[in-house]
Amino acid sequence: MSYYSGKDGTLTYNGTAVAKVSNWSVSSAVDPLETTVLTDSDRSFVPGIRSISGSATIFYYDDAAVPLLQRIIKTAVVSEADVLVIKLGWGSKFIQGSCVITSAELSCAVGEVMQASIQFQFTGAPTGVVL
Amino acid sequence: MSFEGPTFPTLAPTSRSLVPGDFPGTKFSAQNGAEARVQYGSRRTNTEFSLSFDNISDANAALIHDHYHNCRGTLGIFHVDYKPKEGNPGFHEGISGENTANRFSTIPWGLKYRYAEPPQFSSVKPGRMSVTVKLTGILDT
Repeated sequence: MSYYSGKDGTLTYNGTAVAKVSNWSVSSAVDPLETTVLTDSDRSFVPGIRSISGSATIFYYDDAAVPLLQRIIKTAVVSEADVLVIKLGWGSKFIQGSCVITSAELSCAVGEVMQASIQFQFTGAPTGVVL
Repeated sequence: MSFEGPTFPTLAPTSRSLVPGDFPGTKFSAQNGAEARVQYGSRRTNTEFSLSFDNISDANAALIHDHYHNCRGTLGIFHVDYKPKEGNPGFHEGISGENTANRFSTIPWGLKYRYAEPPQFSSVKPGRMSVTVKLTGILDT
């Protein structure tokens, strides 16, 4: 039994670790499908479609964030070739799956370290989960 | 006498609506606005009964599909069981279809249900479908 903290966290894309990750988060949600019928007095549901999405913040240090940013910030069109396998890890545990980068933000401000924020959406089911 | 199909599947709907039809007749309107009506029959007809079944299992959707097929589409007449009509006990009471308190039924009013149009099946996700059914209550000769 042990606690986990930020120092245990990792983020990799296509098997390559991303350096200088400040934080990441992931969330999974299922749309419920209502199955309530006329004689019911309480609503009932069955699980519908699941979606998993996440976000990460990466310090812009030595191009650490570039491989992720350039998936959608580029002169060429975004294609299926820009789908990445992202693995979010902590210790020996991880969540992994094919992801589409849905948002990439690069911010630069006086008195702050330049950093990039990305958001991603899993496409299909996760290919690996160890919780 | 029309071909009679099997009883409609015993499924509780998600929503239901009834338009009770009207007695057959004709309206005569004079140029001054006066109106006279002649009624041709003593029994109400053309009841519209709509049922929707949201997110039901494929197996239950298949029951409706097969019922439509076994009724030969919009040709056959059939009875609707109690289950698709329950839930409004002040409006529709009892299992017996003969009682005039069974207002979703056709029997007390001398009518028979048949499909007004082919039912619509919408796929929601693997294993789940939504179905809408429109029935009409007609006087069977």
